[in-house]
Amino acid sequence: MAGIGIEHVTKRFGGVTAVSDLSLEIGDREFVTLLGPSGCGKTTLLRLIAGFMAPDAGVIRVGSTALSTPSGVVPPERRGMGMVFQNYAVWPHKTVYQNVAFGLEVRRVGRAETQTRVARVLEQVNLAGLERRYPSQLSGGQQQRVALARSLVVEPGILLLDEPLSNLDAKLRERMRWELKELQRRTGITFVYVTHDQSEAMALSDRIAVMHAGAIMQVGAPRAVYARPVNKVVADFMGLVNLISGRVVRAGADDGVVAVGGEHPIGAPVPPGAVSGQTVQVAIRPENLRLVPASAADGAGSVPGRVVEVTFLGNLVDCHVTLDDGTRLRIQVDPGQTPEVGQRVGIRFDGRKSSVFG
Amino acid sequence: MSTPLQAFPAPSRLVGAEHVVMAGAALALVVLVALPLAFLVGGSLTGDDGLTLAHFRDAVTSRLHVQALRNSLVLGAATAVLSVTVGLPLAWAVSRTDVPAKRFIHLTAVVSYLTPPFLTAIAFVNLFSPRAGLVNRFVRDVLGMPALTFDVFSMAGLILVTVPHTFPFVYLLAASALESVDASMEESAQILGAGRWRTALAVTGPLVAPAVLSGALVAFVNAIALFGSQAIVGLPGRVFTLPTRIYALFDYPPQYGLASALSLIFVALTVAALYLQRRYLARRSYVTLGGKGSRPRLVELGSARWGVLAFCVAVFVVAVAAPYLTLLAVSVSRSWGLGFWQNLTLQHYRFVLLEYDVTRRAIVNSLILASGTATLAVLIGSLVGWLDLRTALRGRKLLDYASLVPLGLPGIVVAVALIQFWLRVPLPIYGTLLIILLAYTGRFIPLGVRSANAAFRQIDPSLEETARVTGAGWLRTFRSVTLPLARPGLFAGWLLVFVPALQELSASVLLFSSGSITLAVAVYNLYETGALGPVAALAIVTMLIITGAIVLATRLGRGVAVPSAERAEVAQ
Ligand SMILES: Nc1ncnc2c1ncn2[C@@H]1O[C@H](COP(=O)(O)OP(=O)(O)O)[C@@H](O)[C@H]1O
Ligand SMILES: [Mg+2]
Repeated sequence: MAGIGIEHVTKRFGGVTAVSDLSLEIGDREFVTLLGPSGCGKTTLLRLIAGFMAPDAGVIRVGSTALSTPSGVVPPERRGMGMVFQNYAVWPHKTVYQNVAFGLEVRRVGRAETQTRVARVLEQVNLAGLERRYPSQLSGGQQQRVALARSLVVEPGILLLDEPLSNLDAKLRERMRWELKELQRRTGITFVYVTHDQSEAMALSDRIAVMHAGAIMQVGAPRAVYARPVNKVVADFMGLVNLISGRVVRAGADDGVVAVGGEHPIGAPVPPGAVSGQTVQVAIRPENLRLVPASAADGAGSVPGRVVEVTFLGNLVDCHVTLDDGTRLRIQVDPGQTPEVGQRVGIRFDGRKSSVFG
Repeated sequence: MSTPLQAFPAPSRLVGAEHVVMAGAALALVVLVALPLAFLVGGSLTGDDGLTLAHFRDAVTSRLHVQALRNSLVLGAATAVLSVTVGLPLAWAVSRTDVPAKRFIHLTAVVSYLTPPFLTAIAFVNLFSPRAGLVNRFVRDVLGMPALTFDVFSMAGLILVTVPHTFPFVYLLAASALESVDASMEESAQILGAGRWRTALAVTGPLVAPAVLSGALVAFVNAIALFGSQAIVGLPGRVFTLPTRIYALFDYPPQYGLASALSLIFVALTVAALYLQRRYLARRSYVTLGGKGSRPRLVELGSARWGVLAFCVAVFVVAVAAPYLTLLAVSVSRSWGLGFWQNLTLQHYRFVLLEYDVTRRAIVNSLILASGTATLAVLIGSLVGWLDLRTALRGRKLLDYASLVPLGLPGIVVAVALIQFWLRVPLPIYGTLLIILLAYTGRFIPLGVRSANAAFRQIDPSLEETARVTGAGWLRTFRSVTLPLARPGLFAGWLLVFVPALQELSASVLLFSSGSITLAVAVYNLYETGALGPVAALAIVTMLIITGAIVLATRLGRGVAVPSAERAEVAQ
């Protein structure tokens, strides 16, 4: 039973509040990702969970036991957690085997059992045969696996991972993502995973907690957070998004209407509290916009504009279009439908999939 | 098939400059290092009738010399061990704990390092000479416990006065290693269940061990080379060591051949220690790994911090307070004894400053020598460094290595080599300031090369290339881009040479004449006459001059004159 309860936790460094009155429940066997830009407090929160520092306010529990309070902290060595550091922190003076076996030695596991368990975990992370190598003889990806194996071999209930893939090249990162997910499913360990890469977060997590300036903005399943960001910050951080300004024509979650790009009404989920004429921000992702011929731009839900930039990206084409009032939009189209720069086009908004913020 | 990209051919003007610089640097190294060494080897192998191994046979069979070798080894080993015992806890306290007064602890190490070793020796003689030593008198006459007296004229005494000058090597290297171990290395062990001690033993210890061992070996090399303390404390107690034996061989009639053979054995010892250090460091240097991560959290000592601080204060008392206060007290006492403060006087200062005509000459000579040496060493260092980093000339690496050779040469050996060389060359420089200048420059070239290399390395070549692209010539680029950027580093190197050159004794003591006497030799000679009061006064004056010179030079150069780990590697 390794659920984690974080209740109203605050951590300050001098004048900087790194974590600010933050609460989060993490379920047993859950894969939760802390996602946010650099400096938003992810590492600090992870280190608070690990017990490397005491909170200035709040409580951190595992199961029903309070492990961290401002007045006292169970030290990391007595928490039985695992942690993978961003720089791996594989010990350069120990071989792969010695690195991985260390946690078992500390736990006084017998020699024979140590050997079997190390062999098994090295098998799991595809490092079998490299037992006698020193870290300096390993690639970055292999070092990363050593770090992982070292944490897994002691079978922790909770594994904390601080941007473990950020130092790998793109291809390897992709593969390791898949392997991590697979591992978590197989072992049933609770994963608390830190990253600033939203696609990584989406691919891996059961739930994502988007952090900003020491606080959690939104928690939810990847799809939900992506489709229904609660504010501009989350919308902006979760992948490509167009943030344009508009004017409320009619409020309503299902039948709301906003005018954008001059006086072109589109349907959008306008919060019920909004009043007609109020200026709002509309967040809409490129995949919810479609280019249509200029002649079709008069119908409902279509807005006229002019193509100002076209960038070929391989499997798709990135187009920048300005609306008549100067609003700039980014749209991604199929390479077969690449428009000319300067061409007049219409843009069809799938407005129901946008988000509207006051 | 494609041909590899060719670099643009360098302008021929530059090729010319490179070769001139190369020739100059090579010539300097040949004259300063290679030829004297060659003559040292030659001298050790030549007897009255041609080639012989007799000198080496004498050196390794005569009881006196074997004993000297054994004493040097014991001194070096004991000093190395004690340097770790003192330096490592200080380094740990400063870099890893919340001990108070860190700046004070650091300064203790720095000041110990900067204090001329012979001053410490003289001060401790005043405290612990068997009969007249102040502490011994107190223990015997006041406490009435003669069993507790301590005779400084012994191996134990020699070790006591040497360690204050060698523990800073361990301290500096260990502190920088401890500071560069990434916090996550230790935290990984902690989260796996290891407590503080287990983490220290399994992770931190092995990671900083190369630096500590390296510091111990440098301490060893330095300890055995310190002529001053070994002569002042060792000779009266008949604790002979290699430097004092070699020195004694120059008494009339001088035995050049035997001195050369003994010198080479000395060099072998030094080189072996330095070789071990290099090899160990090269194979097991981990501290540069990680790097960008976070600093480890400081250990909260609680009330133990006062115990740790007490240890640091004890080191300060032995290494700094006791020597300086003793010398100060002796220098103003009419007679040295338990009631010394009842009879204070400035007569010793009047004597050394106004009546003793050697003093002024020694001061002027030492200032000339130190600034000349610093300038030459940095100049040669710049040539070697520039060739190494900015050209592709063949042989530049060899030059770089060759310039490090003097690291393996104790001061007295440099003197013996120069004597062997210049006595056989028909140029009358023996007994002049020039030969001392050559000895110093040869000795301190490694410092100049290291500093220049570090200074140039920090300048991105693209800055110079930008200047070249805009049309500036090579010389112009060097003057208006390279030099200004490198100046702080080069100046730091200048000071790095200047300070030890100002207090050099080991080589000077064999090379000086009454006209070319230096400060350290003047202090040593005065000590030999037994005039303790004037010696103490001159020692204090020496320290003031050194301090004044450092302060002035630091002001002028706006550089910093604190010893770094890099500096710590260079032998005295
Ligand atoms: N040990 C520390 N001392 C002082 N400030 C810190 C320390 N650790 C983190 N901070 C500050 O706290 C904030 C959050 O840092 P961190 O948790 O490392 O962010 P992230 O991991 O999301 O990039 C930053 O402003 C950082 O500068
Ligand atoms: Mg971080």
